[in-house]
Amino acid sequence: MSEKVLQKANWSSFVQALADARELWFPVKDGPIYKFAPYSGDVDAGLEEYAYSSVPPKAVVLPQTETMFLYQVGDKETSLPEEKKEKVVLGARPCDARAMDIVDRVFQWDEDDPYYLENRNKTAVIGLACNEPFVNCFCTSLDGSPGSTQGLDVLMVDLGDKYYLRSVTDKGSRILGDAESALEDASGEGSQAEEIIKEAEGKIKRSIDTEGIREKLEEGWEAPLWDEVSRACLGCGACTFLCPTCHCFDIQDEVEGFDGRRCRMWDSCMFGEYTLHTSGHNPRPSRKERTRNRISHKYRYYVEKFDKIACVGCGRCITSCPVNIDILDILSRVKEEL
Amino acid sequence: MVDLETIRKKAKEIVSREDVKHLIGWRKGTFGYRVTPYWVEAPEDAEELVYSPLCNTNLATSLTLAEKLPLPKGQEPDRRKTALLVRGCDSRAVVQLLTERGVDREQVVLLGLPCRGVVDLRKLKDSYPEDNEVADAEWKEDKIVLNVSGEKKEIPREEVLDDHCLVCRYPNPVEADETLGEKVEPWAEESHPGVEELENASFDKRWDFWEKEFERCIRCYACRNACPMCYCEDCILDRLNPTWIYRSNNYSENTAFHIARAFHLVGRCVSCGACERVCPAGIPLGKINQKLVKEVREKYEFEPGTDPEGVPFQASYNPQDQEDFIL
Amino acid sequence: MSEQFEPNIVAFLCNWCSYAGADLAGTSRTHYPANLKVIRVMCTGRINPLFVLNALQQGADGVLVSGCHPGDCHYMEGNMYARRRFRLMKDLLEYLGVDSRRFHMSWVSASEGGKWKEVVEKVVDEVSEIGPFEQFKREKINW
Ligand code: SF4
Ligand code: SF4
Ligand code: SF4
Ligand code: SF4
Ligand code: SF4
Ligand code: FES
Repeated sequence: MSEKVLQKANWSSFVQALADARELWFPVKDGPIYKFAPYSGDVDAGLEEYAYSSVPPKAVVLPQTETMFLYQVGDKETSLPEEKKEKVVLGARPCDARAMDIVDRVFQWDEDDPYYLENRNKTAVIGLACNEPFVNCFCTSLDGSPGSTQGLDVLMVDLGDKYYLRSVTDKGSRILGDAESALEDASGEGSQAEEIIKEAEGKIKRSIDTEGIREKLEEGWEAPLWDEVSRACLGCGACTFLCPTCHCFDIQDEVEGFDGRRCRMWDSCMFGEYTLHTSGHNPRPSRKERTRNRISHKYRYYVEKFDKIACVGCGRCITSCPVNIDILDILSRVKEEL
Repeated sequence: MVDLETIRKKAKEIVSREDVKHLIGWRKGTFGYRVTPYWVEAPEDAEELVYSPLCNTNLATSLTLAEKLPLPKGQEPDRRKTALLVRGCDSRAVVQLLTERGVDREQVVLLGLPCRGVVDLRKLKDSYPEDNEVADAEWKEDKIVLNVSGEKKEIPREEVLDDHCLVCRYPNPVEADETLGEKVEPWAEESHPGVEELENASFDKRWDFWEKEFERCIRCYACRNACPMCYCEDCILDRLNPTWIYRSNNYSENTAFHIARAFHLVGRCVSCGACERVCPAGIPLGKINQKLVKEVREKYEFEPGTDPEGVPFQASYNPQDQEDFIL
Repeated sequence: MSEQFEPNIVAFLCNWCSYAGADLAGTSRTHYPANLKVIRVMCTGRINPLFVLNALQQGADGVLVSGCHPGDCHYMEGNMYARRRFRLMKDLLEYLGVDSRRFHMSWVSASEGGKWKEVVEKVVDEVSEIGPFEQFKREKINW
């Protein structure tokens, strides 16, 4: 573990050093939202304004569209896409890194998923602690914290005129090594950072006691509650596409002339055709079953398999739902009514 | 305008009717400025109804979203009506649906409400950040009064109103069984903000603008699903055989998606703005829709959702339709 | 570029007039540019605007839709619907930044072999002027 300090005045040389060593992904303002994009050389782009990315950094390790293999139409040969590059994600929020940890398990519990794992193993994450948590954050209810290091390689804390950086993994230490010239050794900033994180924890206003939710979800399968909480749902992909732990994908073939590729892309259990069978039968025929699935997947099925809740409390699904379907509201009703 | 007590009282009366299943309105959300569609099943539920500039969903969408699932053998279908609160834009959506036979007039009860425009949360949040506290808002002449934790703030209406509402010419319901309160005086002349600016730009400039916007789209289809007029059971965007539009996310497929969506709303879009308000990527969908609304109105004198007896625009023609573009 | 650039133009022709018109031009040995890929459909009313979109995505530099003159449609009014539809499709494409010279519509009857030649020449000329269509062409993006 190494502890360093980055003076904000040295920001651009730090960013440049990272970008020289690896493919750097950075939260970029795109219209009114932030999303992670490869660093373009815009050294002025700092993290001062950035609160959180609407599209989570899962998009770096599980891209919305990803080539699996290439082929020629009519030919049996296939070839693999280009090898993935070593990447570093700068400025992910701690919950987003914890989410990667959750997704990791899915992609290696039975068969290893080579696409995901290659990407993930080649990606290092530098997290930025949240000095000012956002309206719908509830990570502290899920063993998280605005300064959590789980899933991170380096934790970075904003101390005003400088950042405090602490490596969490060996990979993290190596990354800090790459950018050494821009960094100074820390001297006591660590405790200042701890204080800021503690203070931030106190600013989180939303919460849920997750005790017993799994059992209730099992018992209350047919409860009328599900009709009520799903009635306004539009069946869009906002809550799932933007959730850092949602990982479902669809596989399609795309053809350009005689060149073909098989690729996968994000899919969502809130879409009607997600479970549609070829026969026309749909075991989740309405938004009720789909909403129930979304909640149950995170708070029941995943828990049964991995003994962990597949939600990190980032609040994106709450903030981005166009009709204010609020997972905390649903969960507390599950606790009370089922 | 209309006061909340009148709405609640009337809603109670309506849901008490034997031939009415429920009434769809709005109630307060779980945080900040959020308001959510709400189904009043029993008279006492009506106490939760709200009506304010924060009611930013088009309720007509609720009609088309309801799944028509096959009934278990022997079970009789529930033939009771659905009641709906409708402002100008909601009612226009219902009217457009009537002309398309998307909704059966006999199956809906429309309770009309005059409206003075809804706020665009993005504009509002810029100056008045959203907090956990559930906020309230009301119209007061040319202002919107925000009530956050008991503290009132008066904001000029034009600062925070949704662009669609700023130029709305139908603030009163065009179709309703009964309209509550006093009609409001329409405040806008016909105009299509943002459209002209692009029209005056070169082709390259226009494409530069749209390419960036479309590239950002995450294809969540919230815009489609929030739209009262997008109710196809087999939407072209979901169809796989043939796959007109690939599902991969890039500027090419995203552009194709946006063109297809916008084009399917030609002569149907009622300018409610729901699509743009729900977009999590902040794509200015109104700028596309309004261009087509403008062309349809200027070239064909057609305005969707204003005539319950009307014929759908793309399913009709006039022998005199202009054809100066044809070689 | 315009020296060598041979535009790729997809033409959707209705079976009863424009296709027959093009045929007549052919059998009368009229010379006209060979840049067109003709797709025969029963009526312009059958042309889904998605066809146009898809053609552009798949490599067309320009698109032509052609059918019977008003009053001559084999299905009475197919071309009347098409007229509305493609007027607005053209408006939409232009508004998004697609050059107005890329998309054309024409009325060519079965006896208008000469007009067919003129239409094709005009379309090919105009598309040649602006060059290849690249804006939202499908190009193995991130393959
Ligand atoms: S379910 Fe919601 S709060 Fe939980 S991780 Fe996903 S988006 Fe965040
Ligand atoms: S819960 Fe909200 S965000 Fe999720 S599908 Fe339903 S409407 Fe869309
Ligand atoms: S709502 Fe926005 S991001 Fe989602 S598909 Fe529509 S335009 Fe794209
Ligand atoms: S396209 Fe948008 S503005 Fe038009 S009716 Fe649909 S939701 Fe309303
Ligand atoms: S985009 Fe087109 S096909 Fe899809 S629901 Fe809307 S109108 Fe129907
Ligand atoms: S048959 Fe030629 S346009 Fe209809």
